[in-house]
Amino acid sequence: MHDAELALLSNYLVVGAILFGLGVIGFLSRRNMIVMFLAVEMMLQGVSLSLVAWGRFYNDLAGQVLVLFIIALAACEAALALALIVVLFRRRGTLDVIAWQDLREADQPPYAEEALPEEPAELPPRWPRLTPAGVPPEIPREQTDYRPHV
Amino acid sequence: MVAALLGAIGIWLLLPRGRVRGRLLGLALGAVSLGLLASQMPGLGDWVAQSLFVILAGVTIVSAAAAITLRNPVYAAISFGMSLLGTAGLLLFQGAQFLAVATIVVYAGAILVIFLFLLMLAEPGGRAPYDRLTWEGLVSAFAGAFTAGILAMTVTCTLVPRAGSLELSKREPPEPPVAVTHEQREQGILAYNHVEQIGRALFDRPQPTPAGQSPGPGYLVAVEVAGVLLLAALVGAAVIVGRGRGSLPRPRAKTAGFSSRGGPPDA
Repeated sequence: MHDAELALLSNYLVVGAILFGLGVIGFLSRRNMIVMFLAVEMMLQGVSLSLVAWGRFYNDLAGQVLVLFIIALAACEAALALALIVVLFRRRGTLDVIAWQDLREADQPPYAEEALPEEPAELPPRWPRLTPAGVPPEIPREQTDYRPHV
Repeated sequence: MVAALLGAIGIWLLLPRGRVRGRLLGLALGAVSLGLLASQMPGLGDWVAQSLFVILAGVTIVSAAAAITLRNPVYAAISFGMSLLGTAGLLLFQGAQFLAVATIVVYAGAILVIFLFLLMLAEPGGRAPYDRLTWEGLVSAFAGAFTAGILAMTVTCTLVPRAGSLELSKREPPEPPVAVTHEQREQGILAYNHVEQIGRALFDRPQPTPAGQSPGPGYLVAVEVAGVLLLAALVGAAVIVGRGRGSLPRPRAKTAGFSSRGGPPDA
């Protein structure tokens, strides 16, 4: 039984580490402020998982209590950060972090926007057509003018 | 470590770079790394428990990866919600029922909905250049994979005894300082009155335990501080948003017919 508990602990720690790493990647590489914030929440989730795992391993409720505090802290952080994002969005009209790149250090070069290939415009939706079968119905001319297909 | 490196390359290929090239390869690499990782995980003994854990962890990790790699931020938020559900399942698997429900209620119910509101406010739909491009994707992918890989390798080397994978793991695994039996867990952290126990841990005054140990920490002050912090964050958010909008428009007494205090018009 003890080995099973040890395996459970190590599995949970690995999963928590992976969640934390994914959060690091997302925070470093994405440019949308809201997605960056999602990545921060993901890091908190990873830490919560490992805290709960340690708490179970040592039969101690302190891990779960700490996760409760993490949840409260995440709620505070979400309120403040989303308020800040709303203010920043009002100032510049975009969620891009690069709109605020004049806050960088003095000796850093400005980020040059990479040229993107043009996205294809959205095609109009194509509805499926039934293959005609049987006797063609008699439809008066004025109806077919207004009903090109059913 | 190989799994972490493969996963890093897969994530880098999956990150939006303005082109659609290489996403399939990234998916394949990510799947291979997940498979490697799952094969290295030690078994939980029971195959039902093992498969349940693998499914839950797979859902969590795959949807977390989707949350940071999808181009449309609305889809990213939704798959983050999926990852939250997976996390709640993992917490439930550990016997932390109250935390699982609290995670769903607070994160998926409150925070994620606010995210979605904000995203609807901005409404780029994944076509904005800042959603199509990432910066320093390779460096950040390797940074994150390095973090996760180092952490996971530390865990597997110190906790899991396995012969021959690394030099470090050939020694005996360290004995845990407290050996907890299953019966103790069933009376403690896996108890039936789990919520009551969490409440007692939060609000009771610390009792000195009979075995000569020092009394556990009491959390009453910390709970109060957390409440004050929540209140301060609420007020702060309101102040920040209100100040960004400028002064509030004041209702005019003459046109509206009554003053701003809501009383009768003072002639």
